[in-house]
Amino acid sequence: MLAYFIFALTIGGIYALLALSLNLIWGGVGLVNLGLVGFFAIGAYVSAILTGAGMPILVGWGAAIIIGAIAGFVVTLATTRLRDDYLAIVTLGLAEVIRLVALNERWLTNGSDGISGIQAPLKSVLGNQGFNLFYMGLVSLVVLVVWALLRRIDMSPYGRAMKAIREDQELAAFAGKNVLSFKVQAFALSAAIAGLAGALYAHFQSYISPDHFQPLITIYIFLAVASGGVGRPAGGVLGAYLVVFFLELTRFVPNLLPDFAPAQFAAIREIMIGTALLLVLHFKPQGLLPERIIPAPKP
Amino acid sequence: MTILLQALLNGIMNGTLIAVPAIGFTAIFAVLRFPNFAIAAYATIGAFAAWWVNVHLGAGVLPALIVAFAVAGFAGVAAEETALKGLRGSGALTVAIGSIALNVVLENIIRLYFGNDLRGYDLPIVPDWRFLGLRVGPQQLQSLMIAVAIMAAMFAFLRFTKFGKAMRAVADNADLARLKGIDPAKVALLTVFLGAGLAGTGGVLIGLDASIDPMLGYRVLLTVFAAAVLGGLGSIQGAVAGALLIGIAEECALLVIPPTYRSAVGFIAILLVLTLRPRGIFGERAA
Amino acid sequence: MTKYAINRRNFLGASSALVGLALMPSAARAEGDTIKLGTLTPLTGAGGPYGPVMTQTAKAVIDEVNAAGGVLGKQIELISEDDQTNPEAGVRAARKLIDVDQVSAIIGTWASSVTTAVAPLCWESGTFLATVSGADAITALPHQGYLVRTQPNTTLQGRKFGEFALEKGAKRVYFVSPQTPFAESQYTNMAKAVEAGGGETDSLVYDDKKPSYRSEVDEIMRFKPDAVVLGGYAPDTTVMLKELYRAGFEGIKIAFAYAVNQQVLDGVQKEVVEGCYTIAPSSNENATAYKRLVDLIGVEKPDPYTVQVYDQTNLIIMAMAAAGDSTGTAIKDAIRTISQGDGTTVDNAVDGLKLIAEGKAVNYEGASGPCDFTDTGDISNSSFRYEQVLDGKFSFINIA
Repeated sequence: MLAYFIFALTIGGIYALLALSLNLIWGGVGLVNLGLVGFFAIGAYVSAILTGAGMPILVGWGAAIIIGAIAGFVVTLATTRLRDDYLAIVTLGLAEVIRLVALNERWLTNGSDGISGIQAPLKSVLGNQGFNLFYMGLVSLVVLVVWALLRRIDMSPYGRAMKAIREDQELAAFAGKNVLSFKVQAFALSAAIAGLAGALYAHFQSYISPDHFQPLITIYIFLAVASGGVGRPAGGVLGAYLVVFFLELTRFVPNLLPDFAPAQFAAIREIMIGTALLLVLHFKPQGLLPERIIPAPKP
Repeated sequence: MTILLQALLNGIMNGTLIAVPAIGFTAIFAVLRFPNFAIAAYATIGAFAAWWVNVHLGAGVLPALIVAFAVAGFAGVAAEETALKGLRGSGALTVAIGSIALNVVLENIIRLYFGNDLRGYDLPIVPDWRFLGLRVGPQQLQSLMIAVAIMAAMFAFLRFTKFGKAMRAVADNADLARLKGIDPAKVALLTVFLGAGLAGTGGVLIGLDASIDPMLGYRVLLTVFAAAVLGGLGSIQGAVAGALLIGIAEECALLVIPPTYRSAVGFIAILLVLTLRPRGIFGERAA
Repeated sequence: MTKYAINRRNFLGASSALVGLALMPSAARAEGDTIKLGTLTPLTGAGGPYGPVMTQTAKAVIDEVNAAGGVLGKQIELISEDDQTNPEAGVRAARKLIDVDQVSAIIGTWASSVTTAVAPLCWESGTFLATVSGADAITALPHQGYLVRTQPNTTLQGRKFGEFALEKGAKRVYFVSPQTPFAESQYTNMAKAVEAGGGETDSLVYDDKKPSYRSEVDEIMRFKPDAVVLGGYAPDTTVMLKELYRAGFEGIKIAFAYAVNQQVLDGVQKEVVEGCYTIAPSSNENATAYKRLVDLIGVEKPDPYTVQVYDQTNLIIMAMAAAGDSTGTAIKDAIRTISQGDGTTVDNAVDGLKLIAEGKAVNYEGASGPCDFTDTGDISNSSFRYEQVLDGKFSFINIA
């Protein structure tokens, strides 16, 4: 049972990083990245491929961050002229293309077989239990660091400028903010965080495949950010742990509803998840933790 | 040369399957101003409704299409009223995300009731007609004609009927429309009915060529979006044009790239077009 | 709609109560008065058409054994989870089965990526894993004996398909499949067999989410094949069959039995699938397990995955009896003592358990094959069951 909790907390941490990533651009600049899972995949594969080729783990993780950032940079530049609704759909397509590349380019990603045996840092030294505990601690630490970083940005003039862009792009541009520059930086940072989450995930599970990176994860992260609190980094983190808690909680409901066949119950589970998102959007559209608007400093 | 012509024909026939749901999607966007991901579920609902009357009551294609339209339309209205209406005040993004959640719920309600088993219509299948070294499917041509007829009907509806004009007015400017005595809420309901109904009809056409299961709509969702975006969100002709173009682009691309990347073609196409023409081919209906 | 404030405390309080309530029954059970087995199958997602029947089959076997007194004096409890055809979700589900439910074995993982992701969790925790996945790399994992696979590997299957095509008089054989871990290997082995017989081959990998494959079929037809081998799954194979029909393909169609199963038959027009051959892994012709399975679950033509789950469940239960212990490690150590060797042939666990209780040796001959495992967990041999669709029904040809 304890092992299950430790595992859930680790996954919660990974989701928390993704939620921080999404919160930065959605709650920050107001861009919709429905292709979040694509950057998650890029980070995972980059680190897996590099460490598989013999590079040390930290290099793999560093590369995941950098290449994630570059990917975010490229995507923003390619889509600058797009309005928000179009951007949402294009990013969705992007994640699908990334999955297709991972699936079909066997020479690079091992295709549908996926990449096994990804190095798990210190696992041989610590043993399985020790490793799981260590990794949970590691992921939680990374979440803390990234959260602290984003919180600083959120509360700084830079963060205020991003929110101004989220609220009204044209006005912000009129006020002299270089909107494109902000968007690019935010998206790149967001993608870098998602990439880091991917790398951490890859080395935790020791196995990744194209099947891992399906749009469902993006839905979970949206649920996390929406329920935890849009526009506030702590909200995303809280939401992510809540989502994992909720996802796992729903597994135990068959004990209360014994009359359904497992296949029907699986459908019920998914209905519960969709309904939860709808309820959250209805009753607490700003999430559990309200956004903090820091007033501008007095001149 | 024949190969290219055949690819063109194939593209038109394939694109037809996407055209009708794309019209539904773009109509909802035009009036309600958000991308409705539940279109996938409405298509699946329509396909299942048609299947039910076909297999249990012996209905033919045309009656099945009408039933699909009605059932999906009502499902859309019910879903809209309960799940999405309350979100409209929070902005298009929230509603869009709500529609994603709604899609998950609806798809799984279908799964709960029908299970995952594949089903098919009890209708005949016709081999292709051949001429000049090319082949064309008569049933696909029929689907194409249905799609074109729907497009024409929608066009006429929007241009000449009171409701249609009200829809366009709300699409252009909801506040002004209200001033003129049009109730945007009623128009929204009608739009959802039409949009979901069209998606349902599209689902039947897809089910004719493929098979019917809870994931029917989900599989084509991305392509439907791409078609609507390519043609210009909000434009009915754009949806059809976009769908046909994506169909043709995919088929022609298959001549040079491996078939595994077919889905990527749609995405690349919209990225290219939107970079050069940010509003899509036919532009948007309303600013 | 009335709004009410969900404050943090209420929410956490309510959900903790819910967790407590839901966990109570399983906490009570954790005392060890039942033996727990888990199924992890795709109940939603791309594998959805296959998962539910697999789970039902495991349950049917377990119910049968429980009715006859259970195993080791205890009843067996089955806990079923959905892997959503997604290894990320599959791992979370497996963790719950292993850490919370403490199952002795997990049965039926389907997608190769799910199996590869879940396998390390199993061998690290001493939980036994029985899979139907086809990727060759799976049995090459360092599973230390905690994994068995009842699906024949691609080397054997590919060859069989090639030989069958030649037997039917085909000289030009075309292989179509979605991008799966075994597509390449299937094709290579099939091509070897066909080319050895003087034939020619080609292949095409398609995107499995499309509602039509006109240009793909055009390319297939350009090769002028005598035979097309269909290596996909039910949803995409349905489309491919329809397209082949429309394009006027009149040659031989050969499909994996899971690609063209009863669902596909029920869902398409007769002409579309008429004459199609299906090949499934099988025991030899004297084996009785297949018929027994058909009677047990009331499905006239169970697909290969369902058939394998039947075998896996029976094997695991008998292994526990033979070991005198229900842990995953016990199963791992004992499974080959009841799956192969010189004992009395049995085709189900109830009979096997009786003999084991009397101290006799048993050898399980399953519905999907003789179920004799190599050290790496692959089956060492398999016959194949050939059927043909005639007039809308499956017609048995032979087993070879």
